[in-house]
Amino acid sequence: MKKIYILFLALFSLSSLYGQREVTGQITDASNQEPLIGVTVRIQGKTEGAISDLDGKYRLSGVDDQTVLEFSYSGMKTKLETVGNRSVIDVQLDENISLIDEVVIVGYGSQKRSNISGAVSSVTAEEIAELPVLRVEQALQGLTAGVQVTQNSGSPGSPLTVRVRGTGTINNSDPLYIVDGIPVDGLDFLNPNDIESINVLKDAASAAIYGARGANGVVLITTKTGKKNEQGLIHYDAYVGMQSAWKKTNLLSASEYAMLSNEAHIAAGKTPLPEFADPSALGAGTDWLDAIFTEAPMASHQLTFTGGSEKSTYSVSGNYFDQDGIVGGEKSGFKRFTARINGSHEVKPWLTVGTNLGLTNLKRNFLPENNEFTTPLVRALNMDPVTPIRKADGTYAYSRYADTDIVNPLNAIDQTHNSWNSNRIVGTAFGVIKLAKGLQFRSSYSVDATFAQQDIFFPRFDLSNDPNLSDAPAGEKNLTNSVVIQHNKWQTWQWENVLTWETQIGSLHHFTITGGTTALENSHEYSGGANTNLPSNDPKDAYIANTIDPITSQSAYSGADESSLLSFFGRVNYDLNDRYLLSAALRSDGSSRFGANNRFGTFPSVSAGWIISHEEFWNLPKVDFLKIRASWGLNGNDRIGNYGFTSVVLSGQNYTFGSGEVITNGSVPLTVSNPDLRWESIEQTDIGLDAEFFEGRLSLVVDYYQKNTSGMLYAAPIPLTVGANPPIRNIASVQNTGWETALSYRNQAGAFKYSFGGNISFVKNKVTSLGEGGEPVFAGRVQSANANVTKTEVGQPIGSMFGFVTDGIFQNQEEINNHAFQNEGTAPGDIRFVDLNNDGVINQDDQTYIGNPIPDFTYGFNADLEWKGFDLGLFFQGSQGNDIYNATVRYDFTYVNRPVDVLNRWTGPGTSNSQPRVNLNDPNQNARVSDRFVEDGSYIRLKNAQIGYSLPRTILDRMHIQKFRVYASAQNLITITKYSGMDPEIGAYNGALEAGIDRGFYPQARVYLAGVNLTF
Amino acid sequence: MNAIKYVSFLLLVAAMLLPTACQKDFLDRKPIVGTTEENFYRTAEDAQAAINAAYAPLQFELSPAGHFRWFWGDIMSDDSEKGGSGDNDANELLQLENFNGAANTDLLEGEWSADYEGIYRANVVLERVPAIEMDPTLKAQILGEARFIRSWFFYNLVTMFGGVPLADHVLAPSEYNLPRATADEVWMLIESDLNQAIEDLPVRSAYGPEDLGRITKGAAQALLLKSLVWQKRWPEAQAIAEEIILSMEYDLASDYGSIFTQDGENNIESIFEIQYMNASGGNWGKNNANEGTFTNVFQRARGQFEGFGFNIPTEDFVQEFFKEGFEDPRLAHTVFREGDAMGDRGVFTQDAAGQPYAYYPKKYFNNKSEEAPFGDPNPNGGSNDRVIRFADVLLMHAEAAYHNNMEGPARTSLNRVRARARGGNTNILPDVTASGQALLDAIYHERRVELGLEGHRFFDLVRTGRASDVLGPLGFVSGIHELFPIPVSQIQATNGAITQNPGY
Repeated sequence: MKKIYILFLALFSLSSLYGQREVTGQITDASNQEPLIGVTVRIQGKTEGAISDLDGKYRLSGVDDQTVLEFSYSGMKTKLETVGNRSVIDVQLDENISLIDEVVIVGYGSQKRSNISGAVSSVTAEEIAELPVLRVEQALQGLTAGVQVTQNSGSPGSPLTVRVRGTGTINNSDPLYIVDGIPVDGLDFLNPNDIESINVLKDAASAAIYGARGANGVVLITTKTGKKNEQGLIHYDAYVGMQSAWKKTNLLSASEYAMLSNEAHIAAGKTPLPEFADPSALGAGTDWLDAIFTEAPMASHQLTFTGGSEKSTYSVSGNYFDQDGIVGGEKSGFKRFTARINGSHEVKPWLTVGTNLGLTNLKRNFLPENNEFTTPLVRALNMDPVTPIRKADGTYAYSRYADTDIVNPLNAIDQTHNSWNSNRIVGTAFGVIKLAKGLQFRSSYSVDATFAQQDIFFPRFDLSNDPNLSDAPAGEKNLTNSVVIQHNKWQTWQWENVLTWETQIGSLHHFTITGGTTALENSHEYSGGANTNLPSNDPKDAYIANTIDPITSQSAYSGADESSLLSFFGRVNYDLNDRYLLSAALRSDGSSRFGANNRFGTFPSVSAGWIISHEEFWNLPKVDFLKIRASWGLNGNDRIGNYGFTSVVLSGQNYTFGSGEVITNGSVPLTVSNPDLRWESIEQTDIGLDAEFFEGRLSLVVDYYQKNTSGMLYAAPIPLTVGANPPIRNIASVQNTGWETALSYRNQAGAFKYSFGGNISFVKNKVTSLGEGGEPVFAGRVQSANANVTKTEVGQPIGSMFGFVTDGIFQNQEEINNHAFQNEGTAPGDIRFVDLNNDGVINQDDQTYIGNPIPDFTYGFNADLEWKGFDLGLFFQGSQGNDIYNATVRYDFTYVNRPVDVLNRWTGPGTSNSQPRVNLNDPNQNARVSDRFVEDGSYIRLKNAQIGYSLPRTILDRMHIQKFRVYASAQNLITITKYSGMDPEIGAYNGALEAGIDRGFYPQARVYLAGVNLTF
Repeated sequence: MNAIKYVSFLLLVAAMLLPTACQKDFLDRKPIVGTTEENFYRTAEDAQAAINAAYAPLQFELSPAGHFRWFWGDIMSDDSEKGGSGDNDANELLQLENFNGAANTDLLEGEWSADYEGIYRANVVLERVPAIEMDPTLKAQILGEARFIRSWFFYNLVTMFGGVPLADHVLAPSEYNLPRATADEVWMLIESDLNQAIEDLPVRSAYGPEDLGRITKGAAQALLLKSLVWQKRWPEAQAIAEEIILSMEYDLASDYGSIFTQDGENNIESIFEIQYMNASGGNWGKNNANEGTFTNVFQRARGQFEGFGFNIPTEDFVQEFFKEGFEDPRLAHTVFREGDAMGDRGVFTQDAAGQPYAYYPKKYFNNKSEEAPFGDPNPNGGSNDRVIRFADVLLMHAEAAYHNNMEGPARTSLNRVRARARGGNTNILPDVTASGQALLDAIYHERRVELGLEGHRFFDLVRTGRASDVLGPLGFVSGIHELFPIPVSQIQATNGAITQNPGY
């Protein structure tokens, strides 16, 4: 009523000519008295207004004494001023530190955080800007409660493992990534600097609007656009840096190696090698780890243009990013060029059209990663230190002792030519029609197209001392070179139509009703070829046709696959008097991936919230905001392969026919098809609490959830009567239960601004069914023990480590005699394994669970301080309670090098109770899978430390510059861990069944960066 | 202006509904490349590949799927013993042989598994090939081959385990726990399949040389004969046996000794023979992809003869050849005795073999020169498995005719077999003139010596009701050991839908 009264007065005064006049003034930031540019000044209740200029000044005409001016600016509290008799009105705006009012992007819309009744975590552009992340996923690491992010590899460009609320399935647990409304596979194409916000939909109710794809969480990424009425700005952001290995395992020197080799030979009843007669004469020998690690440069340059007029917004950016690897330098290097154009224009008052378009070219060079056979890391760790890097003539040397896989790692790196070069277009064009007040229709057509080429070349080489004798072992020579080239084309189009109606009944009942459809088609085509025996050994000449006889030796192949999705969805958000919130969503997804008998799936969800602090009775002055919320929903995981419902017809099922005994091909599907195949489904219940205290300075979010995966795909054994291998069926189930909390505090004392934040996530994972019979799944084979490390069984976490339990070392023969029988050759100095079932013999029945790769909790916390232009940021991230199985030492070989711990080996009674004796043959199988190799993988890491300085306004104004900041930062500066391997941060490179097995991970680099941010 | 706004909205809505209208096509995506069920089974070549794949399980021998006919037919009987390096060498087999075998052996599971794998593959052919547009004669032949193969595996199952789950089509997930049918139901399926196959299959002489080894009309008739004999349906058995005899497609090889040589493979009296060859390059780990057999190496003496020494003939078996007062010449082609030359591998002595066995089986012996030219020779033996010979048909005819009170024709067929064995030596193996029980005993004796160590004996004893008399001293208990135990794993895998045989 009052508003209408003021409006009436305003209109009345407008119409009376002589009441009108002009006001001017300057708008500044209350915290530092610096002018604020681009503040919207409006006469309350009207659309016309003004924008503050570079000096924070504004001028507005048509006001009178009763006019109320509204000053609004993103991130600041809106301020109202009644003009009265003033003609100059200077205004100071206060920072809005409350998170409650921020607008959060949710599926197919946005909502004020205060009104969300689901569980959504957000990362803003400012947070991303604070730590120069190399990949988008890193921005989520440690910053979002409930999201566990681990680096799969320190190799530049390598994807990260992202798990939203635990490992939802033994199959693909990756979340769904949506960039500007476009579902994308992988994020390597995206330049982190282009990101405006990342929102993670964690509970089923928030993700349910993505139905059959939302089961493992949804990550919504919005890229930057200009703002309406924003002056044109040019941003230049750049950094250069240097990376190096933060840790090297201490390995034996040549003389130590020789000494132990002699001992091992004698213990095995063999004559020591004559050249090791005097170990001390061999000295330190070669430090292979030192040899493979290198200082690697990295750099990023970004130019961004943003702005907006009354009707248009635009943002144009270009970025060049270049990172070499700390192993192999350029051989594991990553280069990325990105260009992005985002813009929109209001064509008619009722119609806005726009486009978001990103172009990416990336090139990644690959070295083998995370296996025990071909990685530079495993080779450097296992190569004997006696062998020099190079021979006297400068060419690479080979080891006389090492076995097949363990070849000279430097030569192997040099001989590796494996590059991936791709061009990707991810773009959308959209139109928004305003049909009536509160009713709008949005239609968008999106394309994601990737064109990639992989080039692999295996050159000729021979490390033989005498090429005529060809004395080098098989792995140290390749006498015929070969080339492989593969082209891939992935294309996705999506057409999405969404109708949104915002309305209210009376002043208490607010509704937002959303409905829409999606049609999506994915297609993938590939072709490739190979050839051998190229006359030129130069990788630049590595083309299939460059051979003497290209036709007879070449091979070629091509193929394609596709999938499609058709969906209908709807959601109602209801809010009663800003106190009671209710949201319900339903999505129906039809997918070509599902078998004919289950083509459509329906995914419902409901959530509710109660903002207690908005109740009349609320009178706790320190608690500004308190909301409790609960949600339930059902989601699906459609990553089940494109044609899982059918089965492959395998040839080679041959029989011999004819008088000439001719092997004749037979073909049959060895696996039964399953037309009932469908999505994996996850049912999740969440209860949570959002609160703010002390005028928004302290904020708290707490969530508890239970997530039940059912219909998890698994090929459980079936009766032999069927006559074929078991089909993949929706039969297994997993449960994740956990809670997570995030707490942040920000305040200001004079010129000193500070903020602290932290979050912690607990999750418990348990397999609840593996189908009828429930046969456990064994996986994670390690070569050093020639056995599987993990066992996934009902009642245990996915991928639990399973093996023998050690109980010290046999000190004498009597102890062996008194213990259960282990092996014929067991001798003093060997490991004593526990006879768990007390049957007097150590065999496979004495294995048990010896480790869990899933952390008890993961956490992150940060501190940000600002004082007179200086800023300091510290960001820690960690993981607690996860185990790592260290399989980097190739015990299956007799001549490999070892970490220095082996120097504490047992050499006689009482000498050691942890390190067994050395013996060339390992008759006791000391290297079998046991708790001896299970290590505590907990760590805390200073992910980022950054110090910056911004020039003050007084200087900038003279230079007509908006912002000039320089900074220096260090990543992975401090890591505290008990893990003895190269890096405790280990992702699930080979999937959930083998997480936590270290087969020689490419460790993360320590990075020192210097950068600049310039805006003008 | 409002009009334009709403028109454009309506146009979009109309367009939105388009994919909905044709959603079935939009969501129906079949594999584009690669061979999958969706795009295979379209041409005659596909049909051919499908039936060939159904033949492959005939060759399966070792775990996880496979069997040796001589494990059950010979070792389980009084003709031979397990042998090997000692009791611990394939101990499961020793326990079965002593009739105290457990129901959870890999061997029984391997038998069950191979049989059902073969049945599945035949079912795939029978379900998929009829829809293929191709030459109807060839199609009928392929379906006939599939019906024979399905019958053969069901024959193995029903004679070993009794009534088994009747998987007469590719099982859907809801049918995985299929319970056991009765033995009669299994026999009915075998009979109808074989009758259809007899109609559809060409006779042996109608096949070209490139199809040597394919199932013939005669093979289907002979398997039907075996089935009828097992069920003691003598008149029908005699009739089908006479059809085979009168077809003139088969005859006895003139020289008994030539049958089990390399040259004797697929000879004039071969009716059903599983084909193996010595050059597949298969290995121990991939034994189901082999074209070769392990039988050669398993049955050869150890030591310098480089075998494993299984299937050791018993003294009782050897004495059977002396029952008529002279040495039956077939002994020398069935059993190695000390001093005999083991082909090109040297003279057999217990010292040379390194084991205290007096006899070794001879029929599946292979010479060094016949071994696989590359790869590991052990899994790649080349000897075909002679499953049904014309001599067997003649002896079944004799047995059926005897039971039909037609002793004349019975003696004719019996004496035809003896005449060939005699090899012109008129001092031995005179024509049998006996009648009544003596004639039946003569037929039984003839089966034991003529078909010795070819995997028939145990099943002959069971089907003629003599097992408890003959094998009782070895542990055979009547009412239990006529059938083998169902593999326990399969009872568990079906949650007990498959039940155990009595006594186990």
